[in-house]
Amino acid sequence: MQIRPILSALSRNKTGAILIALQIALTMTIIVNSVFMIQDRRGQMDRASGIDEANTFIYSYSGFAEDFNEKTQIPEDLNYIRQLPGVVDAVQTNSAPLTGGGWSMGLATEQGADADGVGTAIYFVDSHGLDAFGVNLLAGRNFTPDEVIWRERSETKWPGQGIITKELASDMFDGDWQAALGKTVFIAETHPINIVGIVEKMQAPWNGWNGIERTLLFPSQLLFGSGRVMVRTEPGERDRLMREVEEGLVANYDGRLIRRVQSMEEIRENSYRNHNGMNTILTTLIVCLTVITALGIVGLASFSVNRRKKQIGTRRALGARKIDIMRYFMLENFLITSFGVIVGAGMTIGLNMLLVNALDLPKLDWYYVPAGMVVLWLIGQLAVYGPAKKACQISPALATRSV
Amino acid sequence: MLKMSNIKKVFRTEVVETHALRDFSLHVKEGEFVAVTGPSGSGKTTFLNIAGLLETFTDGDYLLDGVDVRNLNDNQRSQLRNEKIGFIFQSFNLIPDLNLFDNVDVPLRYRTMNSKERKERIEHALETVGLVNRMKHIPSQLSGGQQQRVAIARALAGSPRFLLADEPTGNLDSEMAESVMSLLEDINSKGTTIIMVTHDLKLAQRTPRAIAVKDGRVTELSHVVEPVIDIATAKPAMA
Repeated sequence: MQIRPILSALSRNKTGAILIALQIALTMTIIVNSVFMIQDRRGQMDRASGIDEANTFIYSYSGFAEDFNEKTQIPEDLNYIRQLPGVVDAVQTNSAPLTGGGWSMGLATEQGADADGVGTAIYFVDSHGLDAFGVNLLAGRNFTPDEVIWRERSETKWPGQGIITKELASDMFDGDWQAALGKTVFIAETHPINIVGIVEKMQAPWNGWNGIERTLLFPSQLLFGSGRVMVRTEPGERDRLMREVEEGLVANYDGRLIRRVQSMEEIRENSYRNHNGMNTILTTLIVCLTVITALGIVGLASFSVNRRKKQIGTRRALGARKIDIMRYFMLENFLITSFGVIVGAGMTIGLNMLLVNALDLPKLDWYYVPAGMVVLWLIGQLAVYGPAKKACQISPALATRSV
Repeated sequence: MLKMSNIKKVFRTEVVETHALRDFSLHVKEGEFVAVTGPSGSGKTTFLNIAGLLETFTDGDYLLDGVDVRNLNDNQRSQLRNEKIGFIFQSFNLIPDLNLFDNVDVPLRYRTMNSKERKERIEHALETVGLVNRMKHIPSQLSGGQQQRVAIARALAGSPRFLLADEPTGNLDSEMAESVMSLLEDINSKGTTIIMVTHDLKLAQRTPRAIAVKDGRVTELSHVVEPVIDIATAKPAMA
């Protein structure tokens, strides 16, 4: 191995090597953190919402006619939709997962202003809610029709029953989600709610919220003048029914506006548009940095080969085989890259700590740093291969020429 | 030791053929010190490159220490160069970023030799040229004569069967040239075969045997005796 003489030679020509090593360090810092951010976002995007997204669509309505009576019209609409062939169920609701808008409140296991609360999203549904969303009831029961109450916008009272997600139950009862069933919890400090059911999963409307898995369903129908209706269909029937429902509703009654008829797939896409955009930017950044760094390595190695042609010829004359020359340049690059990735490892962790503190990003998983080092080593070796190959083609006869 | 018979070397481009060596024949015996002289473009360097396995030849036969080099591949030629030939170049060809110790170490690193043996050989070679106390210096800290001594130490460290010297005093003043020539004579007196390409007829005169090369052929093959023969212009005297 020629490590010592290579290091000795590098120490006498440090500038180029240090600049490339720093470029490698910077590239590693940005690439590793970017990949981590991309993976983190992908992880968020891949989370299941808990509802039957593939077969569900949602529309908004808004009554504008003087004769619009929400208390009669909404049940009429829901009955019309539910009897359509291909419809599994439908429910009026205030919001849905991934829509980005909804209600949240604090829930506590004890009454009073001083009690520690857990934030939760709230969905208002009737006894068709579980079926219409397609969520899986793990324990307890669904709401009964007589538990469902009408709720005005100005209403301050809360229903006496609630169904919560397993995650919320677990957060409120020290990890023992089953203990929540039948228990009374409190909303708005004093109002008691009996937990009658626990569903496996149903996300809150906000994809960036750290309590996204905490959700509470209340048995209420809304009298807000406008709202949303969630429709679940048989597999393969959704797109047809999206058109049919909209047309049918308008044909039945034209005193309310039907708009934003969207599949859950569209809602998911819109919801994660920023994530997708940021991932595209970060991916472009990674590609650009990788190419720039690789070109930097190629440039330094090519310059180094051209500067040392006579030296390479001399080495060949003194007995170096082509593979020895190749190895020399590969090893030299490996040492420069190693310096870069070691510095880069520190910088990567430093930047992540900064991002954790400033942007509340998660802590970097330990394996990202060694994986980044390996990738940068590989990029370095691939980048130097061409110049090294060129170097080993230099004739030993060059040693006797005056160049 | 070195036997070349009817060696031809033709450099070809798309439009021109250059005959650098034509029926070049030479036999150098073990322990000889042979000077090769000739005008610029005569084929001296091509001869040196072929003799040192730095270049291939177009036709002819070449036996180096009993080995027919004609069909050797690049790796075999490299190995043969490393083990049997020591090179001394006009411009020393030391690696400027390495100290003297590491410079002398260069050819040894291409052998399977442990570090202890390499160290002993390097120190011995540098001692032979009188520079053992400067082994941590880099070439730019030395005079031209000292640099050429380091190059000689590098050539000697691998205990080659013969040395090929390409204008070894060409870049040195007369005092340093004399010192280097004395060193080469001393090395030859200990049994190492030396072939030295030179323009300097006075140096050629000092060697026991000199040949002249002109137009790619050996034109004079004689032992140099007083008075000095201008072998570059002399007519062929021997076959």
